[in-house]
Amino acid sequence: MSGRIYLGELEELILLMVALIGEDAYGVSITKELEEQTGRVITISAAHAALHRLEEKGFVKSKMGGASMERGGRRKRLFQITAYGRQTLEELREVRNTIWAQILTT
Amino acid sequence: MATYPQPPKWAEALVQRLAPAHLAEEIKGDLYEMFLSDVKHFSESSARRRYAWRVIGFLAKAFFWKRLTQQNHNMTGSYFKMARRSLLASKSTTAINVLGLVIGIASALAIISIIRFELSFDTFHTDYKNTYRMVRVSGADLSEFRTGIPYAIPPAMKDIAGIRKMTKLEYLGGSSVDVLNADGKFERQFVEESGVVTVEPEFFDVIDFPGSPIQWISGERHTSLREPGSVVVTSSIAKKYFGDQDPIGKTLRFQKAFDFKITGVVADFPANTDFPFSMLVSYSTMPLLFEERMSDWTSVNDGHSVFVVLQDGAEVKDVEEQIAKLHAANVGKDLSSYRHYFLQPLSEMHFDPNFGTFSRRTITHNTIFALKLIVLCLLAVGCINYVNLSTAQSTLRSKEIGMRKIMGSSQKNLIVQFLVETLIIALIAAFAALALVGVAMPSLVSMLGLQVGINFLDPFLWITLASIIGVVTLCAGLYPALLIAKFNPISAIKNQFATGRIAGVSLRKTLVVIQFTATQVLAVATFIVVAQMDFFRNVDMGFDRKAAIVTMRLRLQDNDHSSLSSFESELRRLPFVENVAKSFTLPSGVDRNRNSRNIGKPDANEVQDYQNYEYSAIDENYLDLYGIRLLAGRNITPADSGKNILVNETLMKNLGYQNPADIVGAELKVGGNDRVHVVGVINDYYGNSLKERVDNIALDADAGRFRQVSVKLNLAAGQNMTDVLTKLEQTWKSFYPEDAFQYRFLDDNIAMFYEQELKYSRLFQIFSMLFVLIGCLGLYGLITFIANRKGKEIAVRKTLGASVGNIIIMFSREYIALITVSFALAVPLAWYGVNEWLMNFENHIDVQWWLFAVPGVIVLAIALAVVCMKSFNAAMANPVDKLRNE
Repeated sequence: MSGRIYLGELEELILLMVALIGEDAYGVSITKELEEQTGRVITISAAHAALHRLEEKGFVKSKMGGASMERGGRRKRLFQITAYGRQTLEELREVRNTIWAQILTT
Repeated sequence: MATYPQPPKWAEALVQRLAPAHLAEEIKGDLYEMFLSDVKHFSESSARRRYAWRVIGFLAKAFFWKRLTQQNHNMTGSYFKMARRSLLASKSTTAINVLGLVIGIASALAIISIIRFELSFDTFHTDYKNTYRMVRVSGADLSEFRTGIPYAIPPAMKDIAGIRKMTKLEYLGGSSVDVLNADGKFERQFVEESGVVTVEPEFFDVIDFPGSPIQWISGERHTSLREPGSVVVTSSIAKKYFGDQDPIGKTLRFQKAFDFKITGVVADFPANTDFPFSMLVSYSTMPLLFEERMSDWTSVNDGHSVFVVLQDGAEVKDVEEQIAKLHAANVGKDLSSYRHYFLQPLSEMHFDPNFGTFSRRTITHNTIFALKLIVLCLLAVGCINYVNLSTAQSTLRSKEIGMRKIMGSSQKNLIVQFLVETLIIALIAAFAALALVGVAMPSLVSMLGLQVGINFLDPFLWITLASIIGVVTLCAGLYPALLIAKFNPISAIKNQFATGRIAGVSLRKTLVVIQFTATQVLAVATFIVVAQMDFFRNVDMGFDRKAAIVTMRLRLQDNDHSSLSSFESELRRLPFVENVAKSFTLPSGVDRNRNSRNIGKPDANEVQDYQNYEYSAIDENYLDLYGIRLLAGRNITPADSGKNILVNETLMKNLGYQNPADIVGAELKVGGNDRVHVVGVINDYYGNSLKERVDNIALDADAGRFRQVSVKLNLAAGQNMTDVLTKLEQTWKSFYPEDAFQYRFLDDNIAMFYEQELKYSRLFQIFSMLFVLIGCLGLYGLITFIANRKGKEIAVRKTLGASVGNIIIMFSREYIALITVSFALAVPLAWYGVNEWLMNFENHIDVQWWLFAVPGVIVLAIALAVVCMKSFNAAMANPVDKLRNE
């Protein structure tokens, strides 16, 4: 794909989490997963903000999911990575791999 | 349920309130989930604290706010965007709408400023509400309204209960003013047309100008006017006379006779006062000059006025009764039953033409009401244009509306949409109107002789403008908006749509009728006002008013017999002088002295046997010069004295003589016991304006009272008036070098009677033209629109053989009918208003049918011309062009 990809570091991590979690990706689960995977603690509002931006940029899409007792009967917004999001992640990985390959060979 | 831990209510409410509607649920859900897990791991209170922190975290995020505001902005933006598009799509309609409203709003602003100025007269004095002017009403039928109060009355009123303050003043009007140098020698002369008054120091206690304070630049209000022979001048007078020199202590000589020392300078009086004074002479001078007058209870000088401030709660009636008692105790029974004193509120002074004011300006409440009505009508007519055009236009937009409704636009959205369009038009019109008023106001003001301007910093102006915009938007926009929003989408898309109907008549027709009724009422009224003015200008006043007559006023001491007759013969030597006459006063005109006293038959005893009459002195040329006819007897000759008089017909009849020949030779009793001898009878002429009746007049031959020289000019073709005046002035200067040459043309002098009426008649003329203009603009817009809509119909008719004439008739028939209906409505309205107005004048034109018919036909003709012009274009179009694109 042409052009630069505007994806911040936190945004990239969260996008990865969405891809990793799969079906049950929403605010709380994403922050938990992020903490487990990277040890990094972020506030719930930061997660929402990042998800919001990702959706605006078209990397994820969302729909309202099922309600549960532990949410006080409120539904959650479930996020799912889009094809464009996945492609972007892969492109980023490729760029890094290429660079790492060069680092290792020298 | 109660066992469940609860997050802080306020924080939850905060999210509910502030979060974008579509995000609130998930945010609250996530927060609650984390809260429950916090409760498990920590204490409940710490979980609550963390909950609150998280909420605050959300508040700090941009996305939390973004959607919320963006959504609103989108809608407002879209209203304006759509409005701009649809206004630009029909440029000509928009232009007509804006133009109609610009004219309406600009006139409204101008008239409102004028009304506001007129209503502001003298309202700023501290005791405004409790201040009264003493007025004098006399005559058996209480028909003589004057303001003069005999000199002896005010000092005697000291003991009357209920009066808190009192001040007397005598308005002298104009005067010649000589500036004397330190040695008391003549230096230079000025002539003041008006503004000279004698006042007491108490004047500034009663008429105190607190809102626009009369500042004392030098001198002090309690002392400067105390001493006899003091004069206080306004700063503009001081500047005119002395430039930058200090005027204090300088001596001014008034009327070549009375010396006054300047003891103070005050700031100029404001424009909106009926006390337009510029030179204030101390009242204490009066007793020194005219001592015998001061104790006189009967003779009156009309400039001598008295103003009182009543105590709070004092009854006007009560005070008037006390004055009446005082009056009755000091004069004879005949006079006290004939002459009455009343208190006129200061707040009525500017609005009562009966008594007049020092500024010579009054405006009746009726005129103000008429002006307000015109403001309303002008705005209404502009709004009606808008309603008509936009409802007509809405058929074109019905597809748009139907589409919008199908796409989910609510009625509210559509109404707002249309109101925004109206608002934009009103805003554009209002600011254009403001610019127009700013440009046109100075010339309007100078035409009306008002000192009112548009002050763009005045908050009142902006409030007025804002309310006009609001009212116009609602009045003009609401009906079309409601109508359009109610369209049934299906029939709207199918283009089946008709405007509303009121009792079976289409609203548009009703509005056109209203519009033209207002227009025609004003057109008829204007026409009649102009006809009345014309009548004033041209009617036979009983003397030759058309002749070119220059009148010059003599000073008191200039009328010694020998110099006056050599001045006269010198004047007669000038080639363009046809005749010269000397007299006490002029036959008519505002610039005229009057003296009056009582006259009766020798056996007269009771007051009703006497007639109040005006007496003047003339020479033998006077009747001839002014074209006054002698009905019986002989003219005055130089041999006659003040004992030989000519009487006019009115006086003759009032004295009980039927035939002019009968009174010739009769002996009459005047002013107590003097006897006079009637030598002749002259025809009646109007000494006052034609608004009033003919007075009793008698002319005698007392050469000692000559104050006026009248010169009748016989101008050769091509003679320059400036040369003539220069020659007259040279002759004047050779006899009276120290006096300014003051002259006036007789016709100007008479015209000044009707100054006020003339000004307002011009105002009415302008606004009736504007009415016609706005009405025709609207008609033009309507016809253009209908012609476009009916293009196909016309084309088909033409191909089937209709002539151009047929089609024009098809178009104009409806409008002739509408305008005829409005004419029928306008006639009774106009008749009522005009009759009321004409009744103000003793001499007025008869209201005849053609006075209504002519303006009616003119309006009809103009409207028809507009209709025909446009329909002619439509009828001439080639039918092929209209039919081809099917």
